[in-house]
Amino acid sequence: MTKIYQLEFGRKQTGVEDLNLEVEEGQIFGLVGPNGSGKTTTLKLLLGLVFPTSGTGEVLGFPIGHPAYKERIGFLPEGPYFYDHLNAVELLRFYGGLFGLGGKELDRRVQELLELVGMWDRRHIRVRNYSRGMLQRVGVAQALINDPDLIFLDEPTSGLDPLGAMQIREVITRIRDQGKTVFLCSHLLKEMEPLCDNIAILNRGRVVQSGTVDELLAGPQGMYMLRAHTVPQEVVESLRSFATEVRTWDSEIEATFADQKLAAQALEAVVEAGGTVRELSPYRRSLEEVFIDAVGGEAQ
Amino acid sequence: MKAIYRVARATFFEAWRRRFLNAILVFAVLIIGSSWSLAYLQPGAELTLLIDIGLGAIRFFGMLIAVFLGVRLIADEMEKRTVHTLLAKPVTRTQFLVGKLVGALATVWSNILLMGIAFYIVFALKAPQFRNMDPEKGPVVRMDFMYANIAKAIGLSFLEVGCIVAIAVMASTIFSWILAAIFSFFLYFVGQMADFFRVLAQNPDRVESAVQRTFFAILYAVLPHFEVFDVREAILKDQFLPWLTLGKIVATGVLYIVIATLIAWLAFKGREV
Ligand SMILES: Nc1ncnc2c1ncn2[C@@H]1O[C@H](COP(=O)(O)OP(=O)(O)OP(=O)(O)O)[C@@H](O)[C@H]1O
Ligand SMILES: [Mg+2]
Repeated sequence: MTKIYQLEFGRKQTGVEDLNLEVEEGQIFGLVGPNGSGKTTTLKLLLGLVFPTSGTGEVLGFPIGHPAYKERIGFLPEGPYFYDHLNAVELLRFYGGLFGLGGKELDRRVQELLELVGMWDRRHIRVRNYSRGMLQRVGVAQALINDPDLIFLDEPTSGLDPLGAMQIREVITRIRDQGKTVFLCSHLLKEMEPLCDNIAILNRGRVVQSGTVDELLAGPQGMYMLRAHTVPQEVVESLRSFATEVRTWDSEIEATFADQKLAAQALEAVVEAGGTVRELSPYRRSLEEVFIDAVGGEAQ
Repeated sequence: MKAIYRVARATFFEAWRRRFLNAILVFAVLIIGSSWSLAYLQPGAELTLLIDIGLGAIRFFGMLIAVFLGVRLIADEMEKRTVHTLLAKPVTRTQFLVGKLVGALATVWSNILLMGIAFYIVFALKAPQFRNMDPEKGPVVRMDFMYANIAKAIGLSFLEVGCIVAIAVMASTIFSWILAAIFSFFLYFVGQMADFFRVLAQNPDRVESAVQRTFFAILYAVLPHFEVFDVREAILKDQFLPWLTLGKIVATGVLYIVIATLIAWLAFKGREV
């Protein structure tokens, strides 16, 4: 799919280009990328809010824009805003009504969701007096009002305090564990790494890397990483002779080894010298490293 | 249908919280409420002035409310991006547009209703005093059809502001809201003069050039004829407003609303939000 925005005076701006994504059911799919790389544009295309310049797409088996799948999806827009004369309960009732929900059942659902996002105690405050994080919380709640099979979240934790962010992450994993699909956009790599099953990295409207998180983060075949602390200096020096790389800060060390045997040798040396081993594992890159590799210096 | 109703309801309640629109309404009601005191300024013509001010205020302020509400209707949703959440729900662009329009119509109509009630009260209280004036001092206006005619005139105002809302919404789906407001005001004021263009088009004595006459004829044909909603003259002469005439005016108004809505729909269905 390609989306070229038409600006005034005939200028053009690429939103996304030759985008080709496939999201499997029952997983958390993360779309990451620098600012302006086309994450929000992708969501808008999938929801039929903007139209592709070329190409097609399907959501839940329906062509994009088709009214049928909207019954079964949820959407949290970037920087959400709502009718500001309503309070949280009225707002959720309004959105629930659009799905034909009503009565006691809707009331129960509204309470459940507002408790879930920590807004039940503040349910009588009107939207116009909300803080940024409160808008975000209610935004997540409204995206779930119809118990969707597929939910699109554009930067769900932006503006949230640490506790709020954690709650939302829990909600996201819980939804996935119920067999539902989550389509997540964010540039918070630290957060996405443990959360997502699959990730695509977007840069300037193009997918530059994609795959399962394990695939993306896997280091070179067979490499191991050892993390330890309070290792005597001379042992650290001896590790340098056979490690691929040794990094130290404070009393911590992190060393990578070309294979399992070298790693075991290092482990022994550290233990013998009275150091404390924190971790010995197959070497994994962080999403941040992968991202910077993929996006490189060319990010705007 | 449900979706349209929901959107309309939300629009209605939100519109009633617009301070600016409420201020116009309060101002209009104040003018209508005090119109009887202004009427004393013109001895002999109190009744004329009362009706002129009252019905004129309803039309004028109704028009203002309709334009300001209409041009911001979609623009607000876009700017605040509430439209994103809404269109991601099972609400089509058509349902959204119609819902917004119905909500706006309900709003301006309730405004007209309040202004109309205010005027009716003032009129019912004050008109008998003016009517019982000494014939020596001024003309005695007959009151045979007066009350019914005023109700009919207020009814036509409902239709007129309906047209204006539809036109303002239509314009806002095509232009920016500021341009749409200018366009709507312009169309309204020129539309008031539509009949004048007909006169020019049909009078070779007054306009010699055939090209110019054709131009005026075209203007007359394309402009919405807002002057048809103004029946003050007939009311003042206390002529019976025939149902057939009213029917034609109503049909015209409904036609305008339908055409404007159709154009708005064509413009909005491919609109990116
Ligand atoms: N309505 C629009 N009109 C014109 N250009 C647009 C429009 N919306 C987005 N763009 C352009 O499309 C590109 C992608 O924008 P998009 O909002 O999808 O980025 P994003 O990945 O969501 O960024 P962020 O991380 O800042 O949210 C940008 O270059 C942006 O300038
Ligand atoms: Mg974005």
